[in-house]
Amino acid sequence: MNIRRHRAILLAYLGMIILLLLTSVVAPGFLSATHLRSTAVLAAFIGIVALGQTFVIIGGGIDLSVPWVLNSAAVLMTLLANSQDAPLLWIVPMLLAAGALVGMINGLGVAIFGVPPIIMTLAVNVILQGGILVYTGGAPTSTAPKAIQFLAVGRIAGFPVVLILWIVLAAFATILLSKTAFGRHLYAVGTSATVAEFSGVPTLRTTVLAYTLSGFTAALAGMLLTGYTAQAYLGMGDPYLFTSIAAVAIGGASILGGTGHYIGTIAGALVLTILTGLLPALNLSSGALLIVYGVVILVTVSLASEALSSLFAALPRFGRQRGPAA
Amino acid sequence: MTELLNATAITKRYGGITALSRADFSARAGEVHALLGENGAGKSTFIQILAGAVRPDGGTVTLAGSPYRPRDPQEAQRSGIAPVFQELSLVPDLTVEENIWFRHEPLSAVRTVRARAMREATLELFARHRFPSIRPDQELRRLTLAERQVIEIAKALSRDPKVLILDEATSALGPQETEWLLGLARGLADAGSLVIYISHRLGEVREIADRITVFRNGATVAAYDTQAVDDETIITDMLGRRMDRLYPERKKTSTDTVALGLRGFGVDHRLSDIDLDLREGEVLGVAGMQGHGQRELFQALFGIGGSRGTVDVWGKPKTIRSPRQALTGRDGLALVPEDRRNHGLLLAKSVRENLTLSVIQRFTRFGITDPRREGALVDEMIATLKIKTGTPEQLAGTLSGGNQQKVIFGKMLLTEARILLLYDPTRGIDVGTKGEIFQLMRDLAAKGYAILFYSSDLAELVHVADRVAVLRNGRLAAILEGEQNSERQILRAAMLETRAA
Amino acid sequence: MSVADPMSPLKMTVATSSPSELAHRPSRAAIWKSALLDRASLIIPCVMLIGLLLVYASLRDGVFTLDELNLDTAAAMTLILAATGQTIVLLRGGIDLSIGGMISLGTVLAATRFGTDPAQAAAWAFGIVAIGGLVGALNGILITALRLQPFLVTLATWSILSGTAMIILPTDGGSLPSGWTMFGVSTKLGLSSSVWLLAVLLVFWIWFKRTRLGIAIRATGSNERSAFLSGVSPIGINIATYGLSGIFAALAALYLTTQTGAGSPTIGKDYILPSVAAAVIGGISLFGGRGGLVGTIIGAFILTIIGNLVFVLEVSSYWQPIVSGIILLVAVLASSIAEKSARRSLS
Repeated sequence: MNIRRHRAILLAYLGMIILLLLTSVVAPGFLSATHLRSTAVLAAFIGIVALGQTFVIIGGGIDLSVPWVLNSAAVLMTLLANSQDAPLLWIVPMLLAAGALVGMINGLGVAIFGVPPIIMTLAVNVILQGGILVYTGGAPTSTAPKAIQFLAVGRIAGFPVVLILWIVLAAFATILLSKTAFGRHLYAVGTSATVAEFSGVPTLRTTVLAYTLSGFTAALAGMLLTGYTAQAYLGMGDPYLFTSIAAVAIGGASILGGTGHYIGTIAGALVLTILTGLLPALNLSSGALLIVYGVVILVTVSLASEALSSLFAALPRFGRQRGPAA
Repeated sequence: MTELLNATAITKRYGGITALSRADFSARAGEVHALLGENGAGKSTFIQILAGAVRPDGGTVTLAGSPYRPRDPQEAQRSGIAPVFQELSLVPDLTVEENIWFRHEPLSAVRTVRARAMREATLELFARHRFPSIRPDQELRRLTLAERQVIEIAKALSRDPKVLILDEATSALGPQETEWLLGLARGLADAGSLVIYISHRLGEVREIADRITVFRNGATVAAYDTQAVDDETIITDMLGRRMDRLYPERKKTSTDTVALGLRGFGVDHRLSDIDLDLREGEVLGVAGMQGHGQRELFQALFGIGGSRGTVDVWGKPKTIRSPRQALTGRDGLALVPEDRRNHGLLLAKSVRENLTLSVIQRFTRFGITDPRREGALVDEMIATLKIKTGTPEQLAGTLSGGNQQKVIFGKMLLTEARILLLYDPTRGIDVGTKGEIFQLMRDLAAKGYAILFYSSDLAELVHVADRVAVLRNGRLAAILEGEQNSERQILRAAMLETRAA
Repeated sequence: MSVADPMSPLKMTVATSSPSELAHRPSRAAIWKSALLDRASLIIPCVMLIGLLLVYASLRDGVFTLDELNLDTAAAMTLILAATGQTIVLLRGGIDLSIGGMISLGTVLAATRFGTDPAQAAAWAFGIVAIGGLVGALNGILITALRLQPFLVTLATWSILSGTAMIILPTDGGSLPSGWTMFGVSTKLGLSSSVWLLAVLLVFWIWFKRTRLGIAIRATGSNERSAFLSGVSPIGINIATYGLSGIFAALAALYLTTQTGAGSPTIGKDYILPSVAAAVIGGISLFGGRGGLVGTIIGAFILTIIGNLVFVLEVSSYWQPIVSGIILLVAVLASSIAEKSARRSLS
């Protein structure tokens, strides 16, 4: 393992461990199995949304359409299923495919027409938002089917189902990034789309696939989240724009693309969730939580930034070889 | 006349590479002083030091008798030194006049730019130096490369410099503008300025330079009055002893099989009617002055930008609309691109990742990559090409230029394509690696590869290529081989209708 | 990877270094065509706005009156002020998400600190603008010194500022002096103070874009390396750019309180992405260097008129985001296509 290149990810885990230790000091009950489990479950929702976001960001883009892809899937599922389990058999695959399709449209807009990712995904987000609001008339929907609730809050042998799902997805994402041609191509496109093109990398397909994955995971998270809250409501996706990007950034990926890994994003999702759980215990308001979020993002991305690593490199003890950059 | 600028024993190292080992330079006010040397002789580093963009490791520079150590380009400009670099310092979205006066705009009482004063100053500047007519209110990005070069010169002159440095300023210019620039340089010198003139065109140098300083391998080897020296002496000083062992023995290895056949090949208006056969086992050189279609030829063959005409690859017609359609394994074409840093290499990624980027499927089974098979390919390529890297995990951007180029070669060789398009593969590379690359090219040709090889250095074409195709104004001007394949003949063919250098 | 273009005499002479290169002048028609394509990013939003206004006028009387102008300007003004700062940042090639936090913070500070004493209110108004400038300057310092991406830095400061706003005023509320909230209602010469404010803003812009700083911001966005080589200070330009953005976010917050008469710790997020959208619809390139405030103002009016249209059509107000999103995409696609053909006609 090349320590230098994985320093950012290691830092994210180090931060998470320090945070857990701090937690055990200020709020002893927090390290109990029960609390850890519920923290992990909450992190899973961020983690699943951030999975697609990780791929998009590694590929040099960003997905701002996450909130309303998530929200649309949640609302449409409850509307179509009408609290029944049976229709889920076609509703869930259909909505997952619809989420993927929205992602694919994002990717095509970015890769073929050269629309800046921020604008493309922002426009898709507001169009979806309006569409769902018009469709539902802004009214709340019926409760989530039992089967979905089981996926979100149920347990198998005491182990939360959603965590099992997250672990499977994480393994899938890790293999995809580290062990497949698609992963290699994604890092190459994110580092330099031109060099990738000159090297025969299918840049169009790679970019579109990353956005497609992001649409898929956002839709999946939307349905699971409905199961967790037992109901879909308008605006439920809004927090996930910030948290999905923050989890990726804290996890060590550069927003410019080409670096990072889902393994880091997992730590990012956990850090955000631990903070969320910790602050009420300290009697801190949600305002304070936002401040802490901001500071944590600034500190982690600063630690991972090249400016600081060149500072480290200047110290002889941390010195690493630096050839001529020609 | 006294010396205006005096540089003594300047040294500069980049990492392990010595750019300047002992550069001396001395020039007076009122002269045009040419600085000559091969690529990589240290001219660029030296003028970057004068321009304040690079700081020397050792040595002293004096300007008008006092020590001169600029901390940044602005301080150099305030001291009266204005460089005109090949790499331009202009901003595409500003207008011509905004660019010329950028950061020095005439201001009104409310601190806004006085547009009329700026326009008058621009027109006055243009008139004073008889600039070619260019509308001052045009946005720069709408100008041609030649026009931009002219504006870069205008920007430098707007500072009324004591020392004007022209670095290959004529390379982007047409004959009329070149004539103008030579007159301008001469006029400035006659008016008491120092013009430091860097050019590969000996004819221009002869025409305007009063004195000449020659750099070789980072050191000053000669300085003389232009009148007192002949061309042969200058060239010998620039080259040193001919390094004959730089070039491998050239055995004819080509067969009658046509690997790459072009008929009526063209790229919009920039390249037309190219009929060319590249044979198995052959190194076919391509020559041409800058901008005469060679870049378009190489890029279009690799599927970048459109093209017309037919392309036969190993006897079969082939459509190439993207690099992916060029890189099709053994029947494909591979390109070593001109721009190493922006087109060739992922600088922030490892040697391993760069080497295997185009051939991931070669070590993928059931969709999963096999690190051991990848490692074997990487190790083999590092050994074959003698790439000097700590481990395969070292970042490509930390390698020396020559080794970076070897990584790009390795990436393309791994694709197993037997038609190689090499665009100026030795530019900016140390002599040792150059020799290795030439040897590699001949070895590959002997194995049946077909190589299309462009070089900006004519000597390389003469010594490495079996035949040389010369382009002029986007058309095939000549194909030279045997006795005909000489630098003189290439230049004649490339410039016959343009000005002789 | 386009198919080869047919040869044209214009291209022939422009791109080869033939003797006639600089002597050659393109035809008058070609100059017009490229001038049009060059300004496409401003022409497209103008056409869109006129089209929307005509549709609006066909549905309702009194669209082209001073009253309507007063109303629409008041409705658009907060967004215009927020988007002015965003425009400056986008011209430099950056992005500022923190304006959302600054707007929230500005409204809660105004709603809790102004009191009833006009002098105190005035002092705090200046204080809020100063805070905006300082926060923005801090953004600029962090971005330059740590070489961090503007997106992430301003995302973080957005969070910090929003949190601060929530601590000061956890829910919407507070109060503002009655004289303050009268600002939008008062008129001079039949024009509301909002319209006068817009005029002042335009005068500011006409001045600012011709200052050395204004030119340097555009130049840095256009080509950072060239600008720095020419003597622009990397940290100075970022402090100025993001500082101005913070100041305009604070002004947007103050204007907003004259309309709402209250503070809100969450309202700022409603202006982050619309400020980018208004600028982009108005022809500002996200890659920096191109566009101006006039386009952004048109963009903000387009977004506002869409709201009016949805209202008079008596359809669900939820149609507003849909139409805005489509307009945004159309504007971006149209200008990117225009830019491509402009480049082709010159290459």
